[in-house]
This record gives sequence, structure tokens and C-alpha cells, in this order.
Amino acid sequence: MEIVSLNQISPDQVIIWSWSFIVINATILYTWLVMAILVVGSWIITRNLSSEMKVSRWQHFLEVIISIIRGEISEMTKKGADHYVPLVGTLFLFICVSNVLVIVPGFVAPTSSMTTTAALATCVFIAVPFYGISRNGLFHYVKEYFQPNFIFFPFHVMGELSRTLALTVRLFGNIMSHEKVVGILLAVTPFLFPVVMQILGLLIGVIQAYIFAILSMVYIASALSAEDEVHHTEIKQEGVSA
Amino acid sequence: MHINWFVFLAQIFNFLLLMYLLKRFLYGRIIKAMDDREAKIAARFAEAEELKGKANEAAELYEKRNQMLNEKKEIMLNEATMAAEAKRKELMEKVREEVDQVKARWQDMLVREHDAFFYDLRQRAAKQLYATARKALADLADVELEERIVDEFIRRVKTLDEEKSIQIRKAISGGGNRVVIQSAFGISEPMQAQIEESLKKQITNGFTIRYLEQPDIVSGIELRVNGHKIAWSLNEYLETLVESLTETLQKEAHAT
Repeated sequence: MEIVSLNQISPDQVIIWSWSFIVINATILYTWLVMAILVVGSWIITRNLSSEMKVSRWQHFLEVIISIIRGEISEMTKKGADHYVPLVGTLFLFICVSNVLVIVPGFVAPTSSMTTTAALATCVFIAVPFYGISRNGLFHYVKEYFQPNFIFFPFHVMGELSRTLALTVRLFGNIMSHEKVVGILLAVTPFLFPVVMQILGLLIGVIQAYIFAILSMVYIASALSAEDEVHHTEIKQEGVSA
Repeated sequence: MHINWFVFLAQIFNFLLLMYLLKRFLYGRIIKAMDDREAKIAARFAEAEELKGKANEAAELYEKRNQMLNEKKEIMLNEATMAAEAKRKELMEKVREEVDQVKARWQDMLVREHDAFFYDLRQRAAKQLYATARKALADLADVELEERIVDEFIRRVKTLDEEKSIQIRKAISGGGNRVVIQSAFGISEPMQAQIEESLKKQITNGFTIRYLEQPDIVSGIELRVNGHKIAWSLNEYLETLVESLTETLQKEAHAT
């Protein structure tokens, strides 16, 4: 395929089918592939789940992953980890599988497209106020933007936007650049060296998935903890006045 | 960098769809399985705790029962020991009684044997003395011993005091005027006449005399009438001899 050639900068450019404004490109195709692998794999493994003492090794594998995700979330939110597992877990699994599948010849990670990373970052951008408002209410969430006073409102907004942009560009830059580096290395020094770079690429891919998921959780948790602090202060004040 | 907004929205949709599908097929199920297993483990632990508690209770119960049994055993053992002791004492008492009885019988037997022996000894001694005395008298004089005995008898009759004579007279009349004279030897006619004469002279007339030979009366003669008697025999001397002899022998026996 042409997508790994040096003159292609992104899988977005590989149009498979289009009609009017509807475009099906390589990014969407590989995204569906990753989705299919995840969903079908999960379905097959969780078809015969056992809650007994003896479980299958695949179930163990999944339980370990979910337990790690739950543990990480619990460390930050202190309580109600299961509420955030679908978002954070899906971010991690999707990015991780996308990045790891790079090892398969012909596969291009959807995360090497900035459209995908921007979409994921946007989801996080929306999720932060969503969880904050659903937990503490709109007033407390909006009030947080005016802390310590209204002058800080633009800075808060800019912070939200800039960290979303950072999420987008960090993931995209890492994965895309890696693919390009490997492509260039293949042209310059074939055989052994690109293999080492591929291994390094796998490590970077997993780390990037972890970083993306953890940062998302940190943003959500910061919104939640800020609200919690407000709550605690109010409760303390009520206690003193009583 | 150019961003295709349709692809951007499609990716958001794809991500939300994936989130939904994974929540349904992965997280929900896995978390449920894990929670179920945790609940089961907790339930098993609780059950194990409960069973442990029950086991402890049962152990305490058995311990108490064991203690009670031991106490009961101790009591029964004491009772049995006391009963055995009582039985032993009873048996000992019984044995002692039996031994006492045997001892008493043995002592009776000993006394009887003792008596028999001395009776026999007396008899033998008397006979021997009689023979010896008779021989001695025969050697010393020409007078037969019987005569001497009869003479002694007659002398006794003659020397009876008044009171004794009256008693004998009454006894003769009360006994149908019959007098029995027993002797160890046969009394000759002249002797019988002398006896009769002395009796009539000293006591009374009008009675018949019957002479009987009785070897038991050792070297003696004896008048018996209704509970009274006039007699002389070696028995008197012999009895004294035997008594002194018995005393001597008993002293010897105790000494040994």
C-alpha cells in the first residue's frame, strides 16, 4: 500500500470511498478494524465468564487489565472508579491496540492521524465538564472557572483548550513521527536497525496510550477534586456555624 | 494540517460507539464477574468464620462434657474404692470371726484332749498306785489290803458324828430301807458281817444291804444311800495327786 510511503503524511489522505461530503478513508477503516478486534475479542472472552475460583487465562488477562485501570483511577478519584472505567479504559485500550498493531505489516495506526487524536481529545474535553457537572452540579462547576476571581476565567478556558490541544498533538506527533522515522530508516539502513526501532515504537505506543488515559483521568479528577474541596469547605463552615 | 470534519465527527462517533460496546461486552461483564467472585469469597470467608465459631462451640461443649465425664469417673472410682474397702473390711471381719471360731473349736478340742489325757493319766496313776500300795501293804503286813480298806470304812462309820448319822438314817428310811455298798473288790462274809454290825450299831436297824462290785471305785469301798455316802477310796488321794500333777504339767506347758 501507499500509506507507508514517505510522500504520504497521514492515513487521512488515503481515500477509500467518498460520496458528497461523506468520506471513508484509511483512518476510519483502521479504526473500525481496531474496534472490531476489541469488541469481538471482548465478546468471545466474556461470553463464558466465570465467577468461580477457577477462570480461563484470557479472563485472567482481561481481569488484570481492568483491575489495573480501576486501580489507577481509584488512586486519583478515591471513590467511584467504576464510573470512569468505560471512558478511560476505552481510551487506553483503543490507543494501545492501535499503536501495537503497527507491528503488523500494512497496518497504519489510526492514532497517527491528527483527526483521530483530535476526536479523542475532544471527547476528553467534553467528558471533563460532563463528569464535573453530573457529580457536583452546573453552578459549582462554572464557579470553578471564576476562582480565585473572575480575572482568571479566560486563563481557565485557555487552559482547558491548550491541554486538549496538547493531548491531540502529543499522541499524533509521537505515533506519526515514529512511523516516519521507521520508514526513513528502512530506506537508509535496512535489516537490523529498523527492527530495534519497531520494538522501541511498541514501547512508545503503550506508554503513549497510558499517558493519554492517565492525563484524561487527571483532568477529570482535578475537576472533581476541586468541587470536592468546595464541598468540604462548605460543610466545615456549616459545622462551625452550627 | 487539514482536518476533515466529517472524519473528525465520525471518529468521535466511533469512539463513543466503541465505549458503549466495550462497556457492554467488557467492563460490565468483567467487573460483575470480579465483584461476584469477591462476594463469593467474602461469603465463603463468612461461612468459614461461622463454621469456625460453631467448631469452637462444639469443642468447648465436648471439653465440658469430657470434664463432666472425668468428674463422674472420679466420683465413681471413689465410690468403688470405698465400697471395695468396706467389702474388704467385712470380709476381714468374717475371716477373723471364722478364725476365732476355728481357734475356739481348737481350744475346746485341746481342753477336751487335755481332760481326756489327765483322766486317763489319773486312771493309770490310780491303778498303778493301787497296785503299788497293795503290793506295799502286802509286803509290809500279813493283812490283805481289802481288809484294811474295810477296816478303815468301818472306822469311818464308827466315827461318824451325830448329825451325819441322823442324816444317813433319814436317808435310809426315805430310800426304802435299802443300802448299796459298792466296792472295787469282793467283800468276804465275815467282813460283810462286821460292816453290817457297825452300821446297825452306829446308824439304824431294819435295812437290807446289797453288795456290788464296781471296778471304777479304785481300791475303795462306798456306801450310797439316797444322796448320802460314806466312802473311802484311793481316788481321794489320787485326785489330789492328779491336781498337783496337772498344775505341774500346765506350768510346764506355759513355760514352753
